Amino acid sequence: MKRIYVLACTLMVAFAVGCSKSDGDKGGDGETPVFSLAWSEYPSWSVFGVAHEKGLLNKDEGKLGELEKKWGVDIVLVQADYDPCLAEYGNSTVDAVCMTNMDSLAPATGRDSVAILPTSTSIGADACIAVGIDSLEDLKSEPTYGLEKSVSQYAFERCLEVEGMKPADFEFKNMDPGVAAQAMQSGDENVKSIMVWNPFVLQTLRDRAGSKRLFDSRKIPEEIIDMVVVSKASLAKPGGDKFACALIDAFYQVNEMLADENTRPETLKALGEKFSSLDVADMEIVVEETQMYKTADEGVKLFEQKKFQDDTMPMVVEFCASHDIVEDKPTIGFGDSDAQLNFDPAYMKKVQSGK
Amino acid sequence: MIRRPIRQRSRILLGIASFVVLLAGYSWMSHRAHVENPRNKTLPNFSQFVEGWGRIASGEGGIDFWGDVRASASRLAVGVLAGVVIAFVLGLAMGCFPILEAALMPPISFFAKIPPTAMLAVYFVFFGVIGIKIFVALIAFGIFPALAQSITQAAQNDVDDHTLYKSYTLGASNFEVVWEVVLRQILPRIIENARLQIGPAMVFLIAAEFALADQGFGYTLRMQSRLQNMNIVYTYLALLALAGLTFDWLLRLLRRQVSPWFGD
Repeated sequence: MKRIYVLACTLMVAFAVGCSKSDGDKGGDGETPVFSLAWSEYPSWSVFGVAHEKGLLNKDEGKLGELEKKWGVDIVLVQADYDPCLAEYGNSTVDAVCMTNMDSLAPATGRDSVAILPTSTSIGADACIAVGIDSLEDLKSEPTYGLEKSVSQYAFERCLEVEGMKPADFEFKNMDPGVAAQAMQSGDENVKSIMVWNPFVLQTLRDRAGSKRLFDSRKIPEEIIDMVVVSKASLAKPGGDKFACALIDAFYQVNEMLADENTRPETLKALGEKFSSLDVADMEIVVEETQMYKTADEGVKLFEQKKFQDDTMPMVVEFCASHDIVEDKPTIGFGDSDAQLNFDPAYMKKVQSGK
Repeated sequence: MIRRPIRQRSRILLGIASFVVLLAGYSWMSHRAHVENPRNKTLPNFSQFVEGWGRIASGEGGIDFWGDVRASASRLAVGVLAGVVIAFVLGLAMGCFPILEAALMPPISFFAKIPPTAMLAVYFVFFGVIGIKIFVALIAFGIFPALAQSITQAAQNDVDDHTLYKSYTLGASNFEVVWEVVLRQILPRIIENARLQIGPAMVFLIAAEFALADQGFGYTLRMQSRLQNMNIVYTYLALLALAGLTFDWLLRLLRRQVSPWFGD
């Protein structure tokens, strides 16, 4: 009995120490600085899982992959669902996270953030799928189910706007995208229209007869940007810039494997394995609809693009403010270190020049 | 000696002291987090809480507090009621008639061992994803096996054979024995077990609301934690705890009212 008591006390102390450590400095063993990245399964983010499998990065603390040795940092890869990833980043339990440009606004109001790498943009990967509804006029009488206050609702309303409709005439109701897709696949009569992302889009189109795309994010190219965001404080720590560079380096190296015809099928399979029940042929469509920024040139080009800076991001901020996603709009900057959310191409350039 | 009673006053003071320690610990963590990053939202300080309460009260930021209360409370109430009714009928029948027990208990024990949250997807297929049906089904089938089992046991063990012989000797029919003798004696146990099932019922409710509701406590908790408005999240959690304690207290009151002879 006494032993259990002692054990319980030790655990509690260990827990308390663990807690206070996480908001302090993670020094590691004093030689190699340790940084962490939270990622969820998504075509352009599963790249980091593949990087671990290929030995470029090692997800565990204390073990170094090829690129971690090259840059002299220890990267811990933390895999979780998308929502928990955002929470971990907001809590400061991880240094970096994979998220979209619109979801980065809310965390940025609490923690100064730097977007170091755009990984992909959705060109058709977010789609409104309907059964028995043929026109946008008909859609007005049926609610569309999808994740509220997220990229799904954004894409839904923006696509309608582009079509010349008033989003207010349409009903968007909250439902987990996995559940919505399942409901449609199993033929639930009440779910006639859903707004989801891949792999749900392709799975639903495959498994429900009569389902079709009403519209998708092809109408709004380069508005939904998937990216890697690092906290400004972590970047400022010793080795922080190396951490950013190692992540970027790993991302581009896996993309090279994808580009090489010999390694493409195998890499695609690795990419799709946990992410979905889709085969290599479908994965080809997935990576086409989730267009990756394969090289540093493409990534830098997006961050320095005028349209992205002057139109897209202000529009995204406006949308988030008008939908209660953020109360105070974070300041957005492009290579401006004072901004709460800073899109900084400097690290991509660093990797490009090989330093 | 163990279990030596303490005075009522020290009991109350110790209870309060525990909460004070917890609050102090939290304030300290929150303070440290704010020293490090004054805009920290994940460990809100008091002024951030007040701001959050203001938003809940005024319904700003897409929060519809009373809508959430109505939605969650009605789902919970209907679900628990349905579960208790099914468990009551089946449990009492199984406790009184071994032939029913032999037939029904094996599948009930089998399904009782599958956590309903693990088969959420199955519920979505069978009960659809729209409306109150899915919540009621999840809660009712979630709490009914354990409840039915305990009612069966109570009917078998809490009423001794002598009482049954006496009733039959006095000329009671089967129905009268079940209704007038067995039920009266196990009623407090039924209420007590229903009370213990409120906790699991809330787990099932929140799990379902996390996935598919557009109103309710689970919905707001998930939405607000994604937006990192932890001041709202903690407030909602505290309210959930208070609601749970209130149900608990109400059912205790009911039990004392219905069967004062049962004691505490």
